[in-house]
Amino acid sequence: MKRLALLMLLAATPAFAHAKLTASDPAADAKVKTPKMIRLTFSEELEPAFSGASLIDPVGKTVPLASSVAGSGITLLPLALKPGRYKVAWHSVGQDTHPMKGSFSFEIIP
Amino acid sequence: MLVLARGLYFAISMLLFGLCAFTWLLRARLPMILPVRDQSLRWALLLLALAAGCAWLGLAAADMADAMDRQAVVSAAKDTRFGQFFLVRMAALAGLGLLLAIRRGRAAIVLLSALALVLPAATSHAAAASPAGFAAVGAITDGVHLLTAGFWIGGLAVLLLLWRRGEPNMPLALSLFSDWAMVAVLLLVMTGLINAASILLGQEGRMSALYLSVLGAKLALVTGMIGLALVNRFRLMPKGGDTLIARNAAIELSLGLAAVLLAGLLGQLQPLS
Repeated sequence: MKRLALLMLLAATPAFAHAKLTASDPAADAKVKTPKMIRLTFSEELEPAFSGASLIDPVGKTVPLASSVAGSGITLLPLALKPGRYKVAWHSVGQDTHPMKGSFSFEIIP
Repeated sequence: MLVLARGLYFAISMLLFGLCAFTWLLRARLPMILPVRDQSLRWALLLLALAAGCAWLGLAAADMADAMDRQAVVSAAKDTRFGQFFLVRMAALAGLGLLLAIRRGRAAIVLLSALALVLPAATSHAAAASPAGFAAVGAITDGVHLLTAGFWIGGLAVLLLLWRRGEPNMPLALSLFSDWAMVAVLLLVMTGLINAASILLGQEGRMSALYLSVLGAKLALVTGMIGLALVNRFRLMPKGGDTLIARNAAIELSLGLAAVLLAGLLGQLQPLS
């Protein structure tokens, strides 16, 4: 299959490598003690002007936080979080200008 | 619309570069062939490239911001690498317009048209998909891919203009194009292979059916182009079948432009599901 794909790509303008979420800390569906920060790592360098993430608390409200986008990562610095299930909603744009978005959840245990 | 703007920008800037590069080569190597009267065509291509380039930026900004507003466009032009290269491309096209207006600097015209074509490679998927630290290699191979495709497509357009005016030295022009186009096609295939290898290595997931279908259609078009080029070079040129060669060249050019438009679509598709 890979050989076939390689042949088909022979004369093609390449088209891969959208900025996908490759890892996060806390990981998706993890149960953790209150994290000091939330880190999202993407498959390629991000365009900071069009990339970011927000944190939604167990009752559906957006948590106020400081965030930064640098290189291929997004860092969120929330204030002290109470126990419960949180959702991280992210949107990314790589240098190829393609937008991606997604979300994952994690739980804070007492 | 974004797919169309992207594909049109590449098709137009390839035609512009190939037209400028091959007429420059003709003047240098075959001075007995009078210059092609292509000023109005060059101006039309230049203005279309400017329009398609601006449309590409505006639509990409709307796509990135998920909203079409002035702020998004300004931010896309100012704050993203794609936008910064867009500004350089537009400056190159403006410079090209100035040189066309004063009818000076043929070599500079080729250089500026090459810049306008090649700069999107810096933010291409090939550059992004290259292994860490090798983005420049991906950008260079993609740049060579674009330039060679441009030479092939734009050169065919020049040949058609020469046939149209009944150029008496047509066999010489054909022979010159054929020699250079063979190198161009070889480089085109090689860089395509390198790009494909860099993209496929380290990628996980299944290829999407839509992506494979479009890719298959593009490959069929390019295969058709190469087939016609081989027939022209090795069967018709030795016999001097001018009418058939011209017809094949026109078909080859049409297939090439369709392939570039499909490439515009491929560039926006998610290849892995």
